[in-house]
Amino acid sequence: MIAASIDLGAHRKDEYLQAARIALDPEGAHISLDLTAGIAVADIVLTEIDRDRTGTISAEEAGAYAEVVRRDIALDLDGRPLVVDLIDSRFPSIESMRKGEGAISLELSAVIPALPAGARHLRYRNTHHADIGAYLANVLAPENPQVAIAAQKRDVDQRQLVVDYVLSGDSSTIAASSFLPDVVGALLMCAAVWWRQRSRPGDARS
Amino acid sequence: MRIVLRRTTMVNLIVLAIASATAVAQGPAAPQGTAADATARIVRAAQAVLATLDEAGRAKVQFPFDGPQKTKWSNLPSPMFERQGLLLADLTPPQRSAVTNLLTTALSSDGYRKVTEIMKGDEVLKTGQGGRGGGRGAGRGGPSFGEDQYYLAFVGTPSTTTPWMLQFGGHHLAINLTMAGSQSTMAPSLPATQPAKYTIEGREIRPLGEENDKAFALINALDATQRSQAILNYRVSDLVLGPGKDGRVIEPEGIRASSLSPAHQTMLLELIREWAGITNDAFAEPRMTELKAKLPQTYFAWSGPTTNGSVAYFRIQGPTLVIEYAPQGSIDHIHTIYRDPTNDYGAKFVAK
Repeated sequence: MIAASIDLGAHRKDEYLQAARIALDPEGAHISLDLTAGIAVADIVLTEIDRDRTGTISAEEAGAYAEVVRRDIALDLDGRPLVVDLIDSRFPSIESMRKGEGAISLELSAVIPALPAGARHLRYRNTHHADIGAYLANVLAPENPQVAIAAQKRDVDQRQLVVDYVLSGDSSTIAASSFLPDVVGALLMCAAVWWRQRSRPGDARS
Repeated sequence: MRIVLRRTTMVNLIVLAIASATAVAQGPAAPQGTAADATARIVRAAQAVLATLDEAGRAKVQFPFDGPQKTKWSNLPSPMFERQGLLLADLTPPQRSAVTNLLTTALSSDGYRKVTEIMKGDEVLKTGQGGRGGGRGAGRGGPSFGEDQYYLAFVGTPSTTTPWMLQFGGHHLAINLTMAGSQSTMAPSLPATQPAKYTIEGREIRPLGEENDKAFALINALDATQRSQAILNYRVSDLVLGPGKDGRVIEPEGIRASSLSPAHQTMLLELIREWAGITNDAFAEPRMTELKAKLPQTYFAWSGPTTNGSVAYFRIQGPTLVIEYAPQGSIDHIHTIYRDPTNDYGAKFVAK
Protein backbone atom coordinates (compact mmCIF):
# COMPACT_ATOMS: atom_id res chain seq x y z
CA MET A 1 0.00 0.00 0.00
CA ILE A 2 1.55 3.27 -1.12
CA ALA A 3 0.14 6.65 -0.24
CA ALA A 4 1.34 10.17 -0.76
CA SER A 5 0.02 13.65 -1.11
CA ILE A 6 1.40 14.94 -4.40
CA ASP A 7 1.23 18.56 -5.39
CA LEU A 8 2.17 18.44 -9.05
CA GLY A 9 1.16 22.06 -9.34
CA ALA A 10 4.13 22.84 -7.12
CA HIS A 11 6.55 22.59 -10.02
CA ARG A 12 7.45 25.99 -11.39
CA LYS A 13 4.72 25.86 -14.02
CA ASP A 14 3.43 29.41 -13.95
CA GLU A 15 6.69 31.35 -13.74
CA TYR A 16 9.27 32.49 -16.26
CA LEU A 17 12.62 31.70 -14.59
CA GLN A 18 15.39 34.10 -15.61
CA ALA A 19 18.77 33.18 -14.14
CA ALA A 20 21.67 35.59 -14.60
CA ARG A 21 25.31 34.95 -13.79
CA ILE A 22 27.56 37.99 -14.05
CA ALA A 23 31.30 37.76 -14.67
CA LEU A 24 33.15 40.92 -13.79
CA ASP A 25 36.63 42.06 -14.76
CA PRO A 26 38.29 45.49 -14.88
CA GLU A 27 37.29 46.02 -18.51
CA GLY A 28 33.78 44.61 -18.66
CA ALA A 29 30.74 42.85 -17.30
CA HIS A 30 29.53 39.68 -19.02
CA ILE A 31 26.04 38.31 -18.37
CA SER A 32 24.94 34.73 -19.06
CA LEU A 33 21.15 34.72 -18.92
CA ASP A 34 19.04 31.54 -19.08
CA LEU A 35 15.28 32.00 -19.55
CA THR A 36 12.97 29.03 -18.91
CA ALA A 37 9.21 29.47 -19.19
CA GLY A 38 7.08 27.11 -17.08
CA ILE A 39 4.58 24.95 -18.92
CA ALA A 40 1.61 27.15 -17.94
CA VAL A 41 3.21 30.33 -19.30
CA ALA A 42 5.20 28.89 -22.22
CA ASP A 43 2.53 29.89 -24.74
CA ILE A 44 2.62 33.50 -23.55
CA VAL A 45 6.35 33.63 -24.28
CA LEU A 46 6.12 31.61 -27.50
CA THR A 47 3.46 33.98 -28.87
CA GLU A 48 6.00 36.76 -28.53
CA ILE A 49 8.76 34.75 -30.20
CA ASP A 50 7.00 32.83 -33.01
CA ARG A 51 5.32 35.90 -34.42
CA ASP A 52 4.37 34.36 -37.78
CA ARG A 53 2.84 31.29 -36.03
CA THR A 54 4.72 28.76 -38.16
CA GLY A 55 5.60 26.56 -35.21
CA THR A 56 9.31 27.18 -35.63
CA ILE A 57 11.64 29.90 -34.41
CA SER A 58 13.40 31.57 -37.34
CA ALA A 59 16.72 33.36 -36.96
CA GLU A 60 14.92 36.68 -37.38
CA GLU A 61 12.38 35.83 -34.68
CA ALA A 62 15.11 34.68 -32.32
CA GLY A 63 17.09 37.84 -32.96
CA ALA A 64 14.06 40.06 -32.43
CA TYR A 65 13.15 38.40 -29.13
CA ALA A 66 16.77 38.48 -27.90
CA GLU A 67 16.73 42.21 -28.66
CA VAL A 68 13.55 42.66 -26.57
CA VAL A 69 15.25 40.94 -23.63
CA ARG A 70 18.43 42.95 -24.13
CA ARG A 71 16.45 46.18 -23.86
CA ASP A 72 14.95 44.95 -20.59
CA ILE A 73 18.39 44.42 -19.05
CA ALA A 74 20.03 47.51 -17.56
CA LEU A 75 23.55 47.82 -16.23
CA ASP A 76 25.08 50.87 -14.65
CA LEU A 77 28.39 51.49 -12.98
CA ASP A 78 28.60 54.06 -10.19
CA GLY A 79 25.27 55.46 -11.42
CA ARG A 80 26.34 55.80 -15.05
CA PRO A 81 24.53 53.56 -17.59
CA LEU A 82 26.58 51.02 -19.54
CA VAL A 83 25.79 49.94 -23.09
CA VAL A 84 24.66 46.30 -23.04
CA ASP A 85 25.39 44.37 -26.23
CA LEU A 86 23.99 41.01 -27.28
CA ILE A 87 26.91 38.68 -27.98
CA ASP A 88 25.18 35.36 -28.60
CA SER A 89 21.80 33.67 -28.31
CA ARG A 90 20.60 30.07 -28.38
CA PHE A 91 16.98 29.03 -28.61
CA PRO A 92 15.55 25.59 -27.88
CA SER A 93 12.88 23.92 -29.98
CA ILE A 94 9.31 25.14 -29.62
CA GLU A 95 8.39 21.61 -28.55
CA SER A 96 10.74 21.64 -25.56
CA MET A 97 9.59 25.14 -24.61
CA ARG A 98 5.96 23.99 -24.70
CA LYS A 99 6.89 21.25 -22.21
CA GLY A 100 8.18 23.98 -19.92
CA GLU A 101 11.77 22.75 -20.07
CA GLY A 102 13.66 24.35 -22.97
CA ALA A 103 15.87 27.27 -21.95
CA ILE A 104 16.77 30.31 -24.03
CA SER A 105 20.41 31.24 -23.41
CA LEU A 106 21.66 34.75 -24.02
CA GLU A 107 25.18 36.12 -23.66
CA LEU A 108 25.33 39.87 -23.03
CA SER A 109 28.30 42.09 -22.45
CA ALA A 110 29.11 45.68 -21.48
CA VAL A 111 32.43 47.49 -21.71
CA ILE A 112 33.58 49.20 -18.53
CA PRO A 113 35.64 52.33 -19.22
CA ALA A 114 39.12 52.68 -17.76
CA LEU A 115 38.81 53.57 -14.10
CA PRO A 116 41.12 54.48 -11.27
CA ALA A 117 41.43 52.08 -8.34
CA GLY A 118 38.76 52.22 -5.67
CA ALA A 119 35.31 51.13 -4.59
CA ARG A 120 32.83 50.53 -7.44
CA HIS A 121 29.14 49.68 -7.67
CA LEU A 122 27.70 47.71 -10.57
CA ARG A 123 23.92 47.60 -10.76
CA TYR A 124 22.12 44.92 -12.81
CA ARG A 125 18.39 45.15 -13.34
CA ASN A 126 16.09 42.79 -15.25
CA THR A 127 12.55 44.01 -15.97
CA HIS A 128 11.72 41.38 -18.58
CA HIS A 129 8.24 39.94 -18.02
CA ALA A 130 7.83 41.24 -14.50
CA ASP A 131 4.27 39.84 -14.60
CA ILE A 132 5.40 36.19 -14.63
CA GLY A 133 9.14 36.41 -13.98
CA ALA A 134 11.08 34.58 -11.26
CA TYR A 135 14.65 35.76 -11.05
CA LEU A 136 18.10 34.62 -9.98
CA ALA A 137 21.10 36.94 -10.13
CA ASN A 138 24.60 36.06 -8.98
CA VAL A 139 28.05 37.43 -9.56
CA LEU A 140 30.71 34.84 -10.32
CA ALA A 141 33.87 34.73 -8.25
CA PRO A 142 36.22 37.04 -10.21
CA GLU A 143 39.05 35.41 -12.12
CA ASN A 144 40.98 38.68 -12.26
CA PRO A 145 42.70 39.31 -8.90
CA GLN A 146 42.29 43.06 -9.38
CA VAL A 147 38.56 42.72 -8.78
CA ALA A 148 37.43 41.85 -5.23
CA ILE A 149 33.71 41.50 -4.49
CA ALA A 150 32.75 43.34 -1.30
CA ALA A 151 28.98 42.73 -1.21
CA GLN A 152 25.94 41.73 -3.23
CA LYS A 153 22.65 43.52 -2.53
CA ARG A 154 19.38 42.42 -4.07
CA ASP A 155 15.73 43.28 -3.96
CA VAL A 156 13.53 40.51 -2.59
CA ASP A 157 12.76 39.04 -6.03
CA GLN A 158 16.33 39.32 -7.37
CA ARG A 159 15.25 41.56 -10.25
CA GLN A 160 17.99 43.89 -9.14
CA LEU A 161 21.49 43.07 -8.00
CA VAL A 162 24.03 45.66 -6.88
CA VAL A 163 27.59 44.38 -6.74
CA ASP A 164 29.94 46.40 -4.56
CA TYR A 165 33.50 45.67 -5.56
CA VAL A 166 36.97 47.04 -5.12
CA LEU A 167 39.15 47.59 -8.15
CA SER A 168 42.82 47.48 -7.25
CA GLY A 169 45.27 49.07 -9.65
CA ASP A 170 44.25 51.47 -12.38
CA SER A 171 42.26 49.73 -15.12
CA SER A 172 43.71 52.12 -17.73
CA THR A 173 47.16 50.98 -16.58
CA ILE A 174 45.92 47.41 -16.63
CA ALA A 175 44.75 47.86 -20.24
CA ALA A 176 48.05 49.43 -21.25
CA SER A 177 50.04 46.71 -19.50
CA SER A 178 48.42 44.11 -21.73
CA PHE A 179 50.30 45.65 -24.70
CA LEU A 180 53.64 45.57 -22.87
CA PRO A 181 54.81 42.16 -24.19
CA ASP A 182 54.13 43.31 -27.79
CA VAL A 183 56.05 46.52 -27.28
CA VAL A 184 59.00 44.71 -25.70
CA GLY A 185 58.95 42.14 -28.53
CA ALA A 186 59.01 44.87 -31.19
CA LEU A 187 61.89 46.68 -29.46
CA LEU A 188 63.88 43.45 -29.25
CA MET A 189 63.33 42.78 -32.97
CA CYS A 190 64.54 46.29 -33.86
CA ALA A 191 67.58 45.81 -31.67
CA ALA A 192 68.33 42.46 -33.34
CA VAL A 193 68.07 43.96 -36.85
CA TRP A 194 70.28 46.88 -35.84
CA TRP A 195 72.87 44.52 -34.32
CA ARG A 196 72.97 42.29 -37.42
CA GLN A 197 73.43 45.28 -39.73
CA ARG A 198 76.13 46.66 -37.46
CA SER A 199 77.92 43.29 -37.40
CA ARG A 200 78.22 42.88 -41.22
CA PRO A 201 81.91 43.61 -42.06
CA GLY A 202 81.25 45.05 -45.54
CA ASP A 203 78.54 47.32 -44.32
CA ALA A 204 80.63 48.51 -41.46
CA ARG A 205 83.51 49.54 -43.78
CA SER A 206 81.54 51.15 -46.58
CA MET B 1 8.22 -19.63 -2.44
CA ARG B 2 11.08 -22.08 -1.88
CA ILE B 3 11.67 -22.29 -5.63
CA VAL B 4 11.84 -18.52 -5.89
CA LEU B 5 14.33 -18.39 -3.06
CA ARG B 6 16.46 -21.06 -4.67
CA ARG B 7 16.43 -19.19 -7.98
CA THR B 8 17.40 -15.98 -6.25
CA THR B 9 20.17 -17.79 -4.43
CA MET B 10 21.38 -19.27 -7.70
CA VAL B 11 21.44 -15.85 -9.32
CA ASN B 12 23.37 -14.40 -6.41
CA LEU B 13 25.84 -17.29 -6.51
CA ILE B 14 26.40 -16.76 -10.22
CA VAL B 15 26.96 -13.05 -9.63
CA LEU B 16 29.38 -13.82 -6.81
CA ALA B 17 31.21 -16.38 -8.93
CA ILE B 18 31.61 -13.87 -11.75
CA ALA B 19 32.75 -11.24 -9.28
CA SER B 20 35.30 -13.64 -7.80
CA ALA B 21 36.58 -14.63 -11.23
CA THR B 22 37.02 -11.01 -12.26
CA ALA B 23 38.69 -10.29 -8.92
CA VAL B 24 41.31 -12.91 -9.75
CA ALA B 25 41.77 -11.37 -13.18
CA GLN B 26 42.16 -7.96 -11.55
CA GLY B 27 45.15 -9.07 -9.49
CA PRO B 28 45.84 -9.15 -5.76
CA ALA B 29 43.25 -7.43 -3.59
CA ALA B 30 44.11 -4.14 -1.94
CA PRO B 31 44.09 -3.94 1.85
CA GLN B 32 40.58 -4.10 3.34
CA GLY B 33 38.92 -0.84 4.27
CA THR B 34 41.06 1.52 2.20
CA ALA B 35 39.82 3.66 -0.63
CA ALA B 36 41.91 1.57 -3.04
CA ASP B 37 40.15 -1.53 -1.76
CA ALA B 38 36.77 0.15 -2.23
CA THR B 39 37.65 0.99 -5.83
CA ALA B 40 38.76 -2.62 -6.40
CA ARG B 41 35.46 -3.94 -5.02
CA ILE B 42 33.45 -1.49 -7.13
CA VAL B 43 35.45 -2.46 -10.22
CA ARG B 44 34.73 -6.14 -9.54
CA ALA B 45 31.03 -5.37 -9.12
CA ALA B 46 31.04 -3.34 -12.36
CA GLN B 47 32.77 -6.17 -14.20
CA ALA B 48 30.16 -8.55 -12.81
CA VAL B 49 27.47 -6.35 -14.39
CA LEU B 50 29.34 -6.44 -17.71
CA ALA B 51 29.61 -10.24 -17.47
CA THR B 52 25.81 -10.55 -17.41
CA LEU B 53 25.45 -8.58 -20.65
CA ASP B 54 25.71 -9.59 -24.28
CA GLU B 55 27.68 -7.52 -26.76
CA ALA B 56 24.76 -5.17 -27.43
CA GLY B 57 24.24 -4.62 -23.71
CA ARG B 58 27.92 -3.86 -23.14
CA ALA B 59 27.85 -1.39 -26.02
CA LYS B 60 24.89 0.34 -24.37
CA VAL B 61 26.50 0.74 -20.97
CA GLN B 62 30.06 1.63 -21.95
CA PHE B 63 31.13 5.16 -22.96
CA PRO B 64 34.56 6.71 -23.53
CA PHE B 65 35.88 8.67 -20.55
CA ASP B 66 36.68 11.74 -22.60
CA GLY B 67 33.36 11.78 -24.46
CA PRO B 68 30.26 13.87 -23.81
CA GLN B 69 28.41 11.26 -21.70
CA LYS B 70 29.86 12.36 -18.35
CA THR B 71 28.01 15.70 -18.43
CA LYS B 72 24.73 14.18 -19.67
CA TRP B 73 22.63 14.13 -16.51
CA SER B 74 19.54 15.97 -15.37
CA ASN B 75 16.76 16.18 -12.81
CA LEU B 76 14.21 15.78 -15.60
CA PRO B 77 12.40 12.51 -16.36
CA SER B 78 13.11 10.66 -19.58
CA PRO B 79 12.50 11.30 -22.42
CA MET B 80 12.23 15.01 -21.60
CA PHE B 81 15.93 14.51 -21.03
CA GLU B 82 17.35 11.79 -23.28
CA ARG B 83 19.54 9.47 -21.24
CA GLN B 84 21.80 6.76 -22.52
CA GLY B 85 22.93 3.58 -20.83
CA LEU B 86 21.26 0.47 -19.46
CA LEU B 87 17.63 1.05 -18.48
CA LEU B 88 16.63 -0.94 -15.39
CA ALA B 89 13.27 -1.77 -16.99
CA ASP B 90 15.10 -3.65 -19.76
CA LEU B 91 17.18 -5.88 -17.47
CA THR B 92 16.71 -9.54 -16.62
CA PRO B 93 16.59 -10.49 -12.92
CA PRO B 94 20.29 -11.58 -12.85
CA GLN B 95 21.34 -8.38 -14.59
CA ARG B 96 19.28 -6.30 -12.18
CA SER B 97 20.75 -8.21 -9.25
CA ALA B 98 24.25 -7.41 -10.49
CA VAL B 99 23.35 -3.71 -10.77
CA THR B 100 21.94 -3.77 -7.23
CA ASN B 101 25.16 -5.37 -6.01
CA LEU B 102 27.16 -2.65 -7.77
CA LEU B 103 25.13 0.15 -6.18
CA THR B 104 25.36 -1.33 -2.68
CA THR B 105 29.14 -1.67 -3.16
CA ALA B 106 29.64 1.85 -4.53
CA LEU B 107 27.40 3.65 -2.05
CA SER B 108 27.23 3.77 1.73
CA SER B 109 24.25 2.06 3.36
CA ASP B 110 22.66 5.47 3.91
CA GLY B 111 23.49 6.51 0.36
CA TYR B 112 21.89 3.37 -1.04
CA ARG B 113 18.84 3.95 1.18
CA LYS B 114 18.56 7.51 -0.12
CA VAL B 115 18.91 6.51 -3.77
CA THR B 116 16.31 3.75 -3.54
CA GLU B 117 13.89 5.98 -1.64
CA ILE B 118 14.21 8.63 -4.36
CA MET B 119 13.44 5.91 -6.94
CA LYS B 120 10.52 4.61 -4.89
CA GLY B 121 9.27 8.20 -4.66
CA ASP B 122 9.17 8.29 -8.44
CA GLU B 123 7.08 5.13 -8.36
CA VAL B 124 4.71 6.93 -5.99
CA LEU B 125 4.65 9.87 -8.38
CA LYS B 126 3.72 7.51 -11.21
CA THR B 127 0.93 5.94 -9.20
CA GLY B 128 -0.31 9.35 -8.11
CA GLN B 129 -0.65 10.38 -11.73
CA GLY B 130 -2.96 7.56 -12.63
CA GLY B 131 -0.29 5.26 -13.99
CA ARG B 132 1.21 7.60 -16.53
CA GLY B 133 4.69 6.52 -17.59
CA GLY B 134 6.30 3.35 -16.34
CA GLY B 135 7.86 1.42 -19.12
CA ARG B 136 9.23 2.15 -22.50
CA GLY B 137 7.39 4.70 -24.57
CA ALA B 138 4.74 5.08 -21.96
CA GLY B 139 2.61 8.14 -22.31
CA ARG B 140 3.42 8.30 -26.05
CA GLY B 141 6.48 10.47 -25.67
CA GLY B 142 5.40 11.92 -22.32
CA PRO B 143 7.58 11.65 -19.26
CA SER B 144 8.28 8.16 -17.93
CA PHE B 145 8.07 7.82 -14.17
CA GLY B 146 8.72 4.82 -11.94
CA GLU B 147 11.48 3.02 -10.08
CA ASP B 148 12.63 1.07 -13.13
CA GLN B 149 13.15 4.22 -15.24
CA TYR B 150 16.77 4.67 -14.14
CA TYR B 151 19.91 4.25 -16.24
CA LEU B 152 23.39 2.88 -15.55
CA ALA B 153 26.43 3.92 -17.56
CA PHE B 154 30.18 3.36 -17.26
CA VAL B 155 32.11 6.36 -18.53
CA GLY B 156 35.54 4.92 -19.16
CA THR B 157 36.49 1.32 -18.49
CA PRO B 158 36.08 0.14 -14.89
CA SER B 159 39.64 0.09 -13.61
CA THR B 160 41.58 0.12 -10.35
CA THR B 161 44.18 2.48 -11.79
CA THR B 162 42.83 4.72 -14.57
CA PRO B 163 39.93 7.20 -14.17
CA TRP B 164 36.39 6.04 -14.90
CA MET B 165 32.91 7.05 -13.79
CA LEU B 166 29.92 5.13 -12.54
CA GLN B 167 26.87 7.08 -13.65
CA PHE B 168 23.42 6.20 -12.36
CA GLY B 169 20.37 8.37 -12.75
CA GLY B 170 16.88 9.17 -13.87
CA HIS B 171 14.14 11.52 -12.73
CA HIS B 172 15.31 13.45 -9.65
CA LEU B 173 18.57 11.54 -9.42
CA ALA B 174 22.06 11.84 -10.86
CA ILE B 175 24.95 10.00 -9.21
CA ASN B 176 28.29 10.64 -10.92
CA LEU B 177 30.99 8.72 -9.05
CA THR B 178 34.44 9.17 -10.59
CA MET B 179 37.24 6.90 -9.38
CA ALA B 180 40.96 6.93 -10.10
CA GLY B 181 42.75 4.31 -8.05
CA SER B 182 42.42 5.31 -4.41
CA GLN B 183 40.87 8.67 -5.27
CA SER B 184 37.22 9.40 -5.91
CA THR B 185 34.67 12.16 -6.17
CA MET B 186 30.90 12.11 -6.34
CA ALA B 187 30.71 15.64 -7.73
CA PRO B 188 28.57 16.70 -9.41
CA SER B 189 25.56 14.73 -8.17
CA LEU B 190 21.90 15.60 -7.84
CA PRO B 191 19.70 13.94 -5.24
CA ALA B 192 16.15 15.29 -5.45
CA THR B 193 12.70 14.04 -4.59
CA GLN B 194 9.02 14.35 -5.27
CA PRO B 195 7.10 13.57 -3.16
CA ALA B 196 9.29 14.51 -0.22
CA LYS B 197 7.15 12.38 2.08
CA TYR B 198 5.19 9.20 1.39
CA THR B 199 4.19 6.04 3.20
CA ILE B 200 4.74 2.41 2.26
CA GLU B 201 2.96 -0.23 4.32
CA GLY B 202 2.34 2.35 7.03
CA ARG B 203 6.00 3.42 7.19
CA GLU B 204 6.72 7.09 6.54
CA ILE B 205 9.51 7.65 4.02
CA ARG B 206 11.33 10.98 3.61
CA PRO B 207 14.22 10.48 1.15
CA LEU B 208 15.78 13.87 1.96
CA GLY B 209 14.24 14.29 5.40
CA GLU B 210 17.57 14.40 7.27
CA GLU B 211 18.86 17.15 4.98
CA ASN B 212 15.76 19.22 5.73
CA ASP B 213 15.68 18.60 9.49
CA LYS B 214 19.41 19.09 10.10
CA ALA B 215 19.37 22.39 8.17
CA PHE B 216 16.37 23.74 10.10
CA ALA B 217 18.01 22.62 13.35
CA LEU B 218 21.20 24.51 12.45
CA ILE B 219 19.53 27.77 11.43
CA ASN B 220 17.44 27.72 14.61
CA ALA B 221 20.50 27.00 16.77
CA LEU B 222 22.16 30.25 15.68
CA ASP B 223 21.79 33.41 17.75
CA ALA B 224 20.07 36.48 16.31
CA THR B 225 23.29 38.08 15.08
CA GLN B 226 24.52 34.90 13.40
CA ARG B 227 21.10 34.31 11.88
CA SER B 228 21.02 37.82 10.43
CA GLN B 229 24.33 37.04 8.72
CA ALA B 230 23.14 33.68 7.42
CA ILE B 231 19.71 34.69 6.15
CA LEU B 232 19.61 36.26 2.71
CA ASN B 233 17.06 39.02 2.24
CA TYR B 234 15.86 37.71 -1.11
CA ARG B 235 13.93 34.75 -2.50
CA VAL B 236 15.84 31.90 -4.20
CA SER B 237 13.41 29.93 -6.33
CA ASP B 238 15.77 27.38 -7.88
CA LEU B 239 19.27 25.90 -7.90
CA VAL B 240 21.86 28.42 -9.02
CA LEU B 241 24.39 25.75 -10.05
CA GLY B 242 22.06 22.97 -11.19
CA PRO B 243 22.39 20.68 -14.22
CA GLY B 244 24.34 22.21 -17.10
CA LYS B 245 26.01 24.83 -14.91
CA ASP B 246 29.40 23.13 -14.78
CA GLY B 247 32.59 25.10 -14.23
CA ARG B 248 31.01 28.13 -12.57
CA VAL B 249 31.92 29.48 -9.16
CA ILE B 250 29.61 32.06 -7.63
CA GLU B 251 30.67 34.52 -4.97
CA PRO B 252 29.83 32.98 -1.56
CA GLU B 253 27.24 34.55 0.75
CA GLY B 254 25.82 33.96 4.21
CA ILE B 255 27.66 33.32 7.47
CA ARG B 256 31.21 32.03 7.49
CA ALA B 257 31.63 28.84 9.51
CA SER B 258 34.59 30.41 11.34
CA SER B 259 31.97 32.60 13.06
CA LEU B 260 30.12 29.55 14.37
CA SER B 261 30.63 27.78 17.68
CA PRO B 262 32.22 24.30 17.67
CA ALA B 263 28.77 22.80 18.27
CA HIS B 264 27.32 24.66 15.29
CA GLN B 265 30.30 23.63 13.17
CA THR B 266 29.63 20.00 14.05
CA MET B 267 25.99 20.46 13.03
CA LEU B 268 27.11 21.96 9.72
CA LEU B 269 29.50 19.05 9.09
CA GLU B 270 26.74 16.54 9.83
CA LEU B 271 24.52 18.38 7.36
CA ILE B 272 27.28 18.24 4.72
CA ARG B 273 27.68 14.51 5.39
CA GLU B 274 24.15 13.95 4.06
CA TRP B 275 25.61 14.57 0.58
CA ALA B 276 29.29 13.66 0.99
CA GLY B 277 28.30 10.45 2.76
CA ILE B 278 26.19 9.07 -0.10
CA THR B 279 29.30 7.44 -1.49
CA ASN B 280 31.12 4.41 -0.05
CA ASP B 281 32.43 5.08 3.49
CA ALA B 282 36.03 4.55 2.36
CA PHE B 283 35.61 7.50 -0.04
CA ALA B 284 33.37 9.60 2.21
CA GLU B 285 35.69 9.74 5.21
CA PRO B 286 38.70 11.35 3.47
CA ARG B 287 36.30 13.74 1.78
CA MET B 288 34.79 14.71 5.14
CA THR B 289 38.30 15.20 6.57
CA GLU B 290 39.07 17.56 3.68
CA LEU B 291 35.80 19.47 4.13
CA LYS B 292 36.39 19.75 7.89
CA ALA B 293 39.82 21.27 7.25
CA LYS B 294 38.24 23.81 4.91
CA LEU B 295 35.30 24.54 7.20
CA PRO B 296 36.65 27.96 8.32
CA GLN B 297 36.36 29.12 4.67
CA THR B 298 32.90 27.60 4.25
CA TYR B 299 29.68 29.65 4.18
CA PHE B 300 26.11 28.77 5.15
CA ALA B 301 23.31 30.83 3.55
CA TRP B 302 19.56 30.59 4.07
CA SER B 303 16.55 32.04 2.24
CA GLY B 304 13.03 31.72 3.60
CA PRO B 305 11.26 31.11 6.90
CA THR B 306 13.04 29.22 9.68
CA THR B 307 10.12 27.13 10.93
CA ASN B 308 10.57 23.49 9.94
CA GLY B 309 7.88 22.66 7.43
CA SER B 310 8.33 25.94 5.55
CA VAL B 311 9.64 26.39 2.03
CA ALA B 312 13.27 27.42 2.52
CA TYR B 313 16.39 27.34 0.35
CA PHE B 314 19.89 26.92 1.71
CA ARG B 315 23.42 26.78 0.32
CA ILE B 316 26.71 25.57 1.75
CA GLN B 317 29.74 26.82 -0.13
CA GLY B 318 33.44 26.34 0.53
CA PRO B 319 36.63 26.23 -1.53
CA THR B 320 35.90 22.65 -2.68
CA LEU B 321 32.18 22.38 -2.02
CA VAL B 322 28.82 23.66 -3.19
CA ILE B 323 25.60 22.21 -1.81
CA GLU B 324 22.23 23.73 -2.67
CA TYR B 325 18.81 22.67 -1.38
CA ALA B 326 15.99 24.27 -3.38
CA PRO B 327 12.30 23.47 -2.81
CA GLN B 328 10.42 23.85 -6.09
CA GLY B 329 7.63 26.03 -4.78
CA SER B 330 6.54 23.55 -2.10
CA ILE B 331 8.06 21.37 0.60
CA ASP B 332 6.95 18.28 -1.31
CA HIS B 333 9.26 18.79 -4.28
CA ILE B 334 12.96 19.25 -3.52
CA HIS B 335 15.96 19.66 -5.82
CA THR B 336 19.51 19.58 -4.44
CA ILE B 337 22.98 19.69 -5.97
CA TYR B 338 26.39 18.62 -4.70
CA ARG B 339 29.50 19.98 -6.43
CA ASP B 340 33.23 20.36 -5.98
CA PRO B 341 34.21 23.36 -8.12
CA THR B 342 37.81 22.14 -8.13
CA ASN B 343 37.08 18.50 -8.90
CA ASP B 344 33.75 17.99 -10.70
CA TYR B 345 34.02 14.81 -12.81
CA GLY B 346 37.43 14.11 -11.24
CA ALA B 347 39.12 17.02 -13.01
CA LYS B 348 42.00 16.86 -10.52
CA PHE B 349 42.62 13.17 -11.20
CA VAL B 350 42.75 13.66 -14.95
CA ALA B 351 45.07 16.65 -14.69
CA LYS B 352 47.68 14.55 -12.87
